[in-house]
Amino acid sequence: MVHNQDNTEYSIETINLTKVFRKKKHRGIFGFLKKEKEKKDKSSDGKKDLTVALDHVNCKIRSGELFGLLGPNGAGKTTFVKCISTILIPDEGTAIVNGFDVRKETSLVRASIGLAIGGERSLYWKLTARDNLTYFASLYKMPRNIIKERVEELLSKMNLLERADERVEDYSTGMRQKIVVARALLHNPPVLLLDEPTLGLDPTFSRQIRSQIRELCDKEGKTILLATHYMKEADEMCDRVAIINNGKIVAVDTSDKLKAMVKETELVEVSCYNPPSDTEHYLKSLYPDIEIVTLIPGNEAEGTPSRIKLMGENAEKRTSKVLEALLKKDAKITNVNIGTPTLEDVFIKLTGAKLTEGGAG
Amino acid sequence: MEKLHDRKLVPKKVACPVGFTLTNLKAELRAIWECNVKEWKIELAYPISFVRACVEPVIFLLPFLVFGLILVGGPVSETLKALVNTSNIVTFVFSGYMIMGFIGTAVWAMGFSIRKEQWYGTLESIYVTPTNRLSLVFGMALHSIVHQSLGTALEFGVIYAIFGFALKIEGILPALVIFALMMFALSGFGVFISALTLILKEGWIVSEGFHSIIMILSPVAYPLLVLPNIAQQASLLLPTTPGLIGMRTFLLQDYRPEIAVNVFLHLLALDAAWMLFGVTIFYLTDKYIRKSGTLGKY
Amino acid sequence: MKTNIFIVWSETLKNIKFLAAYPVIFVFWTIFPLFWFIPFVLQGQALVGNIGPSDLWKGLTGNTEVVPFIIVGAILNGYVLNALYGVGESIREEAYQGTLDYVLASPCNKAYVLIGKALSGSISSTIYAIIQFIVCVFLFGVTITAWVIMPVILVIILLILGLYGIALMLAAVSLQLKQAHEVAHTLDYIFYVFAPVRYPIQFLPFWAQVIGQILPLTYALIATRGLMFNSESPSQIYLSIFLLLIIDVAAILVGFYLFNWMEKRTKKSGSISHY
Repeated sequence: MVHNQDNTEYSIETINLTKVFRKKKHRGIFGFLKKEKEKKDKSSDGKKDLTVALDHVNCKIRSGELFGLLGPNGAGKTTFVKCISTILIPDEGTAIVNGFDVRKETSLVRASIGLAIGGERSLYWKLTARDNLTYFASLYKMPRNIIKERVEELLSKMNLLERADERVEDYSTGMRQKIVVARALLHNPPVLLLDEPTLGLDPTFSRQIRSQIRELCDKEGKTILLATHYMKEADEMCDRVAIINNGKIVAVDTSDKLKAMVKETELVEVSCYNPPSDTEHYLKSLYPDIEIVTLIPGNEAEGTPSRIKLMGENAEKRTSKVLEALLKKDAKITNVNIGTPTLEDVFIKLTGAKLTEGGAG
Repeated sequence: MEKLHDRKLVPKKVACPVGFTLTNLKAELRAIWECNVKEWKIELAYPISFVRACVEPVIFLLPFLVFGLILVGGPVSETLKALVNTSNIVTFVFSGYMIMGFIGTAVWAMGFSIRKEQWYGTLESIYVTPTNRLSLVFGMALHSIVHQSLGTALEFGVIYAIFGFALKIEGILPALVIFALMMFALSGFGVFISALTLILKEGWIVSEGFHSIIMILSPVAYPLLVLPNIAQQASLLLPTTPGLIGMRTFLLQDYRPEIAVNVFLHLLALDAAWMLFGVTIFYLTDKYIRKSGTLGKY
Repeated sequence: MKTNIFIVWSETLKNIKFLAAYPVIFVFWTIFPLFWFIPFVLQGQALVGNIGPSDLWKGLTGNTEVVPFIIVGAILNGYVLNALYGVGESIREEAYQGTLDYVLASPCNKAYVLIGKALSGSISSTIYAIIQFIVCVFLFGVTITAWVIMPVILVIILLILGLYGIALMLAAVSLQLKQAHEVAHTLDYIFYVFAPVRYPIQFLPFWAQVIGQILPLTYALIATRGLMFNSESPSQIYLSIFLLLIIDVAAILVGFYLFNWMEKRTKKSGSISHY
């Protein structure tokens, strides 16, 4: 644990954390034919071959805090989680987790954390839930006399006791994810790292898992890092939220303070069906004084309209003109919302990109 | 920016034993055992596969025996007798082939252990636990050794029933000691292979390649003397060579006697060398893949 | 008909592109089948050395030398391995990649997709076989006269057709059985022990010879060795080719029927892409 000069305890701290990946070329048997072309295309400093996943990230997470890391796919959330959990070695900088350096004291860091990654196969499908948890409990070096009791406790907590002796391959996605979260809690670690724990889950299971996460923080005082691209999840659950894009943390604060960065008059959201084919360019060319115009496509087949966000000083002023322009192009307007910013709006304002797309926007 | 050394670092207690303590060693041994149990549970979920794997050693041995018998026109070979003082083809080939499955322990069970966890999707989940990664590899080895022992026992029964052969009973214990030493060195080799299979995308090629090379260079189906000189020298680097020579010395009735001390010393040297080499490469590779970020990729 | 040929061609091309993306695999399958028969060559040296093979061997193999006998077996066995593992598990691989549902939902006859996979495997096996044979000519002094090349190619084509039928049967089984690779392994063992890859099967017990005589590889090996080494009479060679042809027809008909039946059955039960 790190104590700051004002005596705040931090469970996780990153210092200039940097991670760069080199893109690998797959040439195949006929790769020698491509070599000449590649020589001509290659830039002089070779930067095209590098992806900066984390760019000198400095971040502090207080003890007992539920800290959200919000960003789109490719922003660097998973890389951040993996560096902290010692799965990845950073190229520069370091992180301190529960007072232990991830570079030098890896075993102690691993003993201090529980990791749950959403949306992936990470259980033995041919084993039962009980067998999975028992095995991982032994990998967490839990005493034998405690394992059985602890596994029962967690299965009960996750409402899986009745099906504990069925194979994981017969479970639904939500049930499997519960086992993944239970696994992270086996050794009662002070720090939990959750990377998109509700990815791919239906609303019911998502709600259950979110309430369990909140309970772990409130009742058991655990420090939880929640990496997610679901804005609502970060908004509703987290004590503080860090917005990450292109490997950089662009803002850290409570959800309310972040939303206050977007003035009410600076935000208009128009929901519509059948938006024009090149909405952003169309509206920007008509009204260049609107700072940001972003289209978030919906799904008409599912009844979800597209949303057009207008942000900037002149957003409210131009609302009626924008509506006219859209109607001219046969868009069907369903709703107009002025001045209720969300974290997504904060993200768009700070980065110019959409939360639902890749970080490059 | 505040510097780290300006702040008060409060060491925290962790629930798991770490470091060089007896408690930690016990925990690592238990992890090895539990990994073995886990592999058995998964294997027995595929009963057909389990039965096939037990029968496989017999299947792969039969062509060597049949080929030899047809070629010579019977079970006795004078050419073999001139080379190693034993003329019975069946006894010679079987005594070599008994360890084939255990070579598989090194190159496949251990060699592919980390890759297998990647395939299951559980590798990252295991890597964030405080258990040493080598315990995972040795856990897979333990499972494979037990498995291969079952196969070898079945093989023994089948070959004895069909062909019959004689082994020296008093030689079993020293042969087992040699076997244990050989397996220790092979484990070091297996750790090395497990590192290689992680780096290379087509890891199975590494395992299959090394399996074939060991099969050729080791005196499994033929004495070392039939290999070209350079191959004979290379074969001395493999633990299977002194292992097989030593086991045959003690088990076969009329095998050309080798000085047992030489075999033991050779094996001890290979034990140290392969284990040190394997573990070093393993840790270097572990660092490399954690740096390159390819741990979860399959 | 044109459409079916196009399906076969597209599938073949796709698989060859996959192979081209993995040069290491290409090199491996070219070299290592040779490694697998070297222990037999060395064992032969250890057992008979300069004395030469026994009268029993000479009598059963038509006086063929040991090394050429084994080499032909090893090279042709490569086609068997491809048929069992390359094609037989193709459906499992599609399921793993998540593309199986889409392949099966397409309106084409899926058997032609499998034939495309089999054809790409045959092309790659043939490339491997040619390279391996050239290596053996230089390393072991194996020779082949010009006039036997075409008949040997015909025999190999007939072998491939028979293996296609077996591969179709295996693919049919893999639609239902999630452990289809176990069936492939079992078939591999049958070929490994009961086909005359490394030894003439006349030495085996009667029941084992009967099993060997229903395998297409048996007749392909007898005919190929007979042509290359003059180890069989012309009538024996013609008989082997004729029997190979009968097995081909039977295997392909049974394979097609079984595959179509299993496909319908699996679609009904909904277990198509469980993995």
